[in-house]
Amino acid sequence: MDCGKTEEAEEVRELPMPPLIQLADVTKVYHLESGDFTALNHVSLDIRENEFVAIMGPSGSGKSTLMNQVGILDVPTSGELFIDGENVATMTSLERTHMRRDVIGYIFQKFYLIPLLSAYENVEYPLILKYKKRDETGKAAAVLKSVGFDEQMSAHRPNQLSGGQQQRVAIARALVNDPKILLCDEPTGNLDRKTGFQIMDILTGLHKEGKTVILVTHDPKIAEYAHRTIELDDGKVVES
Amino acid sequence: MRDIFFDLSVRSVRLNFLRSILASIGIVIGVVAISSMGMLGTNMQLSVKSQLSSNVNTIIITSDVVRTTSTAGTPITSEGIDKSTLNDIKSAAGQNDIVPIHRTNTQFTIGSTDGRGSIYGLDPNDIPKFLTIDQGTNIKGGTDALVGPNIAANFNMNIGSRIKIGQDNVSITRPTVRVVGILAARGFASDGVNTDNAIIVPDTWYTDHYGDKDIYDQVNVILQNIDTINQTEAAIDDKVNRRTNIVRISDASSRLSSISSTLGTITTFILAIGSISLVVAAVSIFNVMMMSVKERVQEIGILLSIGTEKGEVRRMFLYEAFILGIIGAVVGGICSFVIGYSVVSAMIGNTSYFFLPDSLIYIPYGMIIGIVVCVVSGLYPAWKASNMDPIDALRSE
Repeated sequence: MDCGKTEEAEEVRELPMPPLIQLADVTKVYHLESGDFTALNHVSLDIRENEFVAIMGPSGSGKSTLMNQVGILDVPTSGELFIDGENVATMTSLERTHMRRDVIGYIFQKFYLIPLLSAYENVEYPLILKYKKRDETGKAAAVLKSVGFDEQMSAHRPNQLSGGQQQRVAIARALVNDPKILLCDEPTGNLDRKTGFQIMDILTGLHKEGKTVILVTHDPKIAEYAHRTIELDDGKVVES
Repeated sequence: MRDIFFDLSVRSVRLNFLRSILASIGIVIGVVAISSMGMLGTNMQLSVKSQLSSNVNTIIITSDVVRTTSTAGTPITSEGIDKSTLNDIKSAAGQNDIVPIHRTNTQFTIGSTDGRGSIYGLDPNDIPKFLTIDQGTNIKGGTDALVGPNIAANFNMNIGSRIKIGQDNVSITRPTVRVVGILAARGFASDGVNTDNAIIVPDTWYTDHYGDKDIYDQVNVILQNIDTINQTEAAIDDKVNRRTNIVRISDASSRLSSISSTLGTITTFILAIGSISLVVAAVSIFNVMMMSVKERVQEIGILLSIGTEKGEVRRMFLYEAFILGIIGAVVGGICSFVIGYSVVSAMIGNTSYFFLPDSLIYIPYGMIIGIVVCVVSGLYPAWKASNMDPIDALRSE
């Protein structure tokens, strides 16, 4: 399978590659009681495969809204958004759910592990969603190991793990279905500095393996890991 | 392989153990109410039916002429069923047992106490065909008599007691019979032979003292097979009432069916009362499920954002309702068995029908209804959970 993939990639490389994520004049307006609030204002943006992008900006600048759009948790009010060549607006709710499961891996600031499942089960969960059966291939355990998670802790529930351990489990969960895109929303925000850099090392390694990493952060030190920084202010891209 | 959504539901129930158990108790009560009430109703029906249907296999044939009462020594002038009509009945009834019955009311005296009651004249050979002798023996001699249990108790009669039959009159010496047996209680007998307050004498003694030889007040046909009742009645009617209506032919089946349908209505009514408790249980399950959804908003947000289908989230909450239903139904089923038995025993006093399938079937019925009510109560909370906006759900704390 891997051989086939490489050949395919080489063929494609000769043609101009379409962006993996493309926002064309995307606007997102929230209708609030106090009036309409424009969170994204005519944003156009291309992110190509295997880019490592940091999104920065002050609070309320639209970073989270942009992440929700790219993570297809939400749809634009106007404009077009293409993920992996698909127009999000024309997809059904179920198709969007499947794309979230198969194409995108989410890493959150608060880890957001499922509290009722063990560390191992949290990683196994997306595989069950995709294949509708328990993982018998050992993939969940292998991915968990690859992010440096202590195997002996895999039966522990999230509330029995440290922040760094939880974030490793969350990264393993995001990776297990082999997504093209990793969306990281302040992944080091709840961690101490040392653990934060360890997590960033893991993300850097994943980028080297071919993942497209999109990172939202306040921290310029963390943003330095990225190869490109997109600055948002007041719902607009001010620097890309 | 266990479904991970089922596992999640089991863990959620375990995590909120007390709350889940309290909600299930509602279902337990509902299941017990439905099952016990159903079993009570069925046992009542079966018990009453069996009392009535013990002589429902009997065709009652009476003269179409209304008879008058008479006392000993006074001949009866009105028409009864005569010998030739009896022979017609016998030939029409085939292999079935024919019981010709003499009957009138009489005064009698036991010791110095006067009383009044029915007196039946029967061939002693016919008596065991439909009557049960509780104490003593059947009639052997010409002046032997059997008495019903009520008359025996009211007048302190024992085996060997002597009864003077007829109105106390100085100028006449009254005939005497000797009690040789006391009958078992029959209650209200649908074959028209109400012996609880009666004296049974041999047909020869009866005709010697009341006349009426070969004239009968009633003829009962005891069927060997209840299913032949209609054709036998038709055969007798054809044979005997060919030109004019000589006899009236009846049976207890129509009365039995009307009583059965009344009892069925009563059973439905008490079942409906039992169902009210299940409605209350449904509200409590609904409440618990809504609380479960509210408490797990963020978890639902996580599930939806990482690619869980809406149907899978729905399934998870329906499983939870189903588990509560199963717990309630199983505990309720066991309790129904114990409580149902106690209720039937206390209210009907007869548990011989309790273990019949018709009665016990109410336990699985109650359990299934309990589970269905639970799952239905979980539908809206499950739908609400699956339709949450993942962004809002993730943000909630």
